[in-house]
Amino acid sequence: MTGAPSRSGWRRLIRHAPRWLRSARLRGQGWRGKLEVRVSLHIAALLIAIMVLTVGVADYGLRLYAFSVAERDLAASAGVLDRNLAARQDQMRSEAEVVSRDFGFREAFALSDRKTLQSALASLADRTHAGAALVVGLDGMVTASPGTPPVKGTALLGALNAGRNGGLINVGNHLALGVAARIEMPDLAGWLVLARPLGPRDLAALTGLSGLPIDAGVTDLAGLDPTLAGFEPGTIAHHDGPGGDELVRVSALPSLDSTLHPRLVLRYQLASATRAYHSLRVALASIGMIAVAMGVFLGSRLARGILLPLGRLAVATAAMARGEMVRVEPRGRDELASLARSFNAMVDAIEEREQKITHAWLHDGLTGLPNRRFFQEKLDRAVARRADDSRILVALLDIDDFRLINDTMGHAAGDALLLQFAALLQGAMPGAGVARFGNDEFGVVLDDIGPARDLAALVDELARKLTVDVDLAGQIVPVSASFGVAVCPDDAQDSATMLKHAELALDRARADGKGTYHFFEATLDEVASSRRKLEIALRHAVRNGEFELNFQPLFCPALHAIKGFEALLRWDHPQRGRISPAEFIPVAEQSGLIIPISEWVIRDACRQAATWPATVAVAVNISPSHFRVPGLVSCVVSALAQSGLAPHRLELEITEGVFITNFDTTLDTLRQLRALGVRIALDDFGTGYSSLSYLRAFPFDKVKIDQSFVRDVGTDSSARAVVRAIAALADALGMETLAEGVETETQYDALIIEGCSMIQGYLISRPVPGTEVAAVLARYDDPAAISAVA
Amino acid sequence: MTSRVPSPNPVRLLLAIGCLAATSATEHRHLDIQVFDQRGLPLRDAVVELARPAGDNRPLVFAWRNAMAQRNEAFVPGTLIVPRDATVAFPNLDTVRHSIYSFSRAARFQIDLYGSDQTRAHQFAVAGTVALGCHIHDHMKGYLRVTDTPYAARSDLDGVAQIGNLPEGTYAVTVWHPQGTGRDGEWHGSVRLVEGRPNRLTIGTR
Repeated sequence: MTGAPSRSGWRRLIRHAPRWLRSARLRGQGWRGKLEVRVSLHIAALLIAIMVLTVGVADYGLRLYAFSVAERDLAASAGVLDRNLAARQDQMRSEAEVVSRDFGFREAFALSDRKTLQSALASLADRTHAGAALVVGLDGMVTASPGTPPVKGTALLGALNAGRNGGLINVGNHLALGVAARIEMPDLAGWLVLARPLGPRDLAALTGLSGLPIDAGVTDLAGLDPTLAGFEPGTIAHHDGPGGDELVRVSALPSLDSTLHPRLVLRYQLASATRAYHSLRVALASIGMIAVAMGVFLGSRLARGILLPLGRLAVATAAMARGEMVRVEPRGRDELASLARSFNAMVDAIEEREQKITHAWLHDGLTGLPNRRFFQEKLDRAVARRADDSRILVALLDIDDFRLINDTMGHAAGDALLLQFAALLQGAMPGAGVARFGNDEFGVVLDDIGPARDLAALVDELARKLTVDVDLAGQIVPVSASFGVAVCPDDAQDSATMLKHAELALDRARADGKGTYHFFEATLDEVASSRRKLEIALRHAVRNGEFELNFQPLFCPALHAIKGFEALLRWDHPQRGRISPAEFIPVAEQSGLIIPISEWVIRDACRQAATWPATVAVAVNISPSHFRVPGLVSCVVSALAQSGLAPHRLELEITEGVFITNFDTTLDTLRQLRALGVRIALDDFGTGYSSLSYLRAFPFDKVKIDQSFVRDVGTDSSARAVVRAIAALADALGMETLAEGVETETQYDALIIEGCSMIQGYLISRPVPGTEVAAVLARYDDPAAISAVA
Repeated sequence: MTSRVPSPNPVRLLLAIGCLAATSATEHRHLDIQVFDQRGLPLRDAVVELARPAGDNRPLVFAWRNAMAQRNEAFVPGTLIVPRDATVAFPNLDTVRHSIYSFSRAARFQIDLYGSDQTRAHQFAVAGTVALGCHIHDHMKGYLRVTDTPYAARSDLDGVAQIGNLPEGTYAVTVWHPQGTGRDGEWHGSVRLVEGRPNRLTIGTR
């Protein structure tokens, strides 16, 4: 094949393409470059493969087609030749037969008149346009017209005798088409043979080959190329001839000459045939290459069109991962643009969420004020940039009775109050940093305060502004706040300490009452730290049983007997020794340790009282805290069961403070306790809230008159009047009265006169440990002791 | 060449009878010569001629009539032996006309088209084979064998040629057949005649 690049060249390209692809991948140009190159190369490889396949198939198809056309033409030509030869032979034969039958001719032949014969033959040759006319005798002797090239008659005898009347013969040394007609006289006497030379032009005319790229030639087998001779006659074979690649059809022609084996060789030059298709193939290859180039170009464009935006997105995503909020620019209207837009929307959403989170992180949800964390940061910053002569003020505020308002008016009201308070606070101190620490606790920081500024006046004004009446759901509620103030650099140099000190000051302010403020004092810290120490010691004490119960007798003058003992808690601290309840009870209450302590007190009191005579009861103080948690009743029940103490011998002393929170549940608990058979006494009556309705709310067994009244009952008539009233009231309600803190006989006498049923105090006895209870009882059994009192 | 029918000569006739009588006084010998072709098959319509022995003066005459008729577009008989100088008649016994010709060296003549109502004759003065054909009927073939010797016979289907009135001895024989491969179709040889024993001759044919 000439012309187009060989198939093997294409195959080599295809084989090596993957290797180039791999090396392109390894040649890292950043991920974008790699992918683009890879996409382009893949497209190129695919296109090349397709084009090579197409061109190859087309090429092959064309060749096959050319081949089949050549075959068809050759076969057709051979067929045409055969028919034309036969036709010519028939024509010649009929002309010869006419002459061979002619009487004159036969006579001339019979006379052996050679000259006549020759002239007759010459005339015949002319007439028929044959190249030669001759007569062959039975012996093979040839008589021919003069000038005829020699013909070997004996060679023809074989065919002639066999009856063949047509075929090729050798005239001179040229092939001629011959026909034979029998000369009968009447027996066969010889043959009249006409011969017409077969030149190339005759052959061409015979085969009708004008215009076709077929060469026709007739050669004797002897003179034939051995390769051609080897081909099977009648079949079309491929042959690499002198003129190039060609198709060859060799067929045998009939021969009269026994020495002659003529072969008709038809050659079809394939080169000329495929030449026509050559231009087609070139066109296909060019189209293929253009297609590949365009495909690669378009593919790379497309890839770039996809990969550039993707790259930008990737860069933006990486930036996002690092924390930068980056947007991409959407270009165009396709999916990538919409992806870019979605990306931007995502970034926006993330940014917004982040901001919200940050805001939520640093701000209080309800009021929108900064939260403790933010406040701390602000404070840190303020401390960091504080000028030497400027001061920072931190105030921690607490809304007074917030829990009460929340409980009584509902959480919605409580939230509304918080919001209003927040607004109030913000308005009260413009330029200050305001924060809500949580629940009802707020913080204020004011920095850059000049040394001359009066802090007390500032805080005082703040307190005033925050003492207002607030409208909550139609109700006008008076609101005030307690706050503790700490100042930098006076009280502390860092934010943590400042906050701690402000907190301590707040505690103190809360303790002082409603609507008050307190500046930090160093002592507060000490107080706080000692309190903390105490708390820890208390926990320890609870675990290790460092508590002890002392008992102070409750004397009944009417009976001249001790009717019971009040159990009083004593604590022997390992290091500090005895710590007064006035000191540790508040700490216990605040830390919640009062509950386990109280439970222990109940149990131990019951246990000890069980050992006393049956007429003697034990009275235990119950903290209001214990009413706020469930489990009091069950504790009492189990204590009674464990000790075996009769319920009526247990008396629980409660203060009016229990009713302040949760009146109903407290009442319910009291009823349950009462149902057990336990006696309830109202302690410290007359102090504190002293609501008379409490006396009606619950049928107490006893009312204890506070020692403040008892102290003056001897001297102050008003005190006696109060005692008289309380006694009368209690008596009217069927309750006992007990006076506490009786120390002198004067008080004793007065109390008895006013109608007090029981006496407790140092006059009778100071509190004694459990071991001495029997002794005290014994003492009062002795009439001498009684008379000493009476 | 035209021929006319001669009138019979009474003298001659008497002479013929006398000779016949004379010869009949001597011994008859029928000699059979059987002719075979090279394949071994009996050859029919072969003409066997024995050369006259010296001193023989048997008249040259045959038992059959010297006439080659045409019937059914064929020469009848196909092969006829005629003496030299005999005039052979060619009666047309056919329904169609014929035009007889011959190119043989022994006699070159032709007779124009004539019908059944006519007859023609020709005299053959040269011994040899005369191949007859018809101009208009290519397939018609007949042979005249003009011979010098009276001792000639045609072989029959079995290839047997009966030649009579010859004493035993050796004779030169010529066997002619249309397909004979010898020159002019003749085969020359010699044969030794023994009474009662058939003589076999094998000649080559095409």
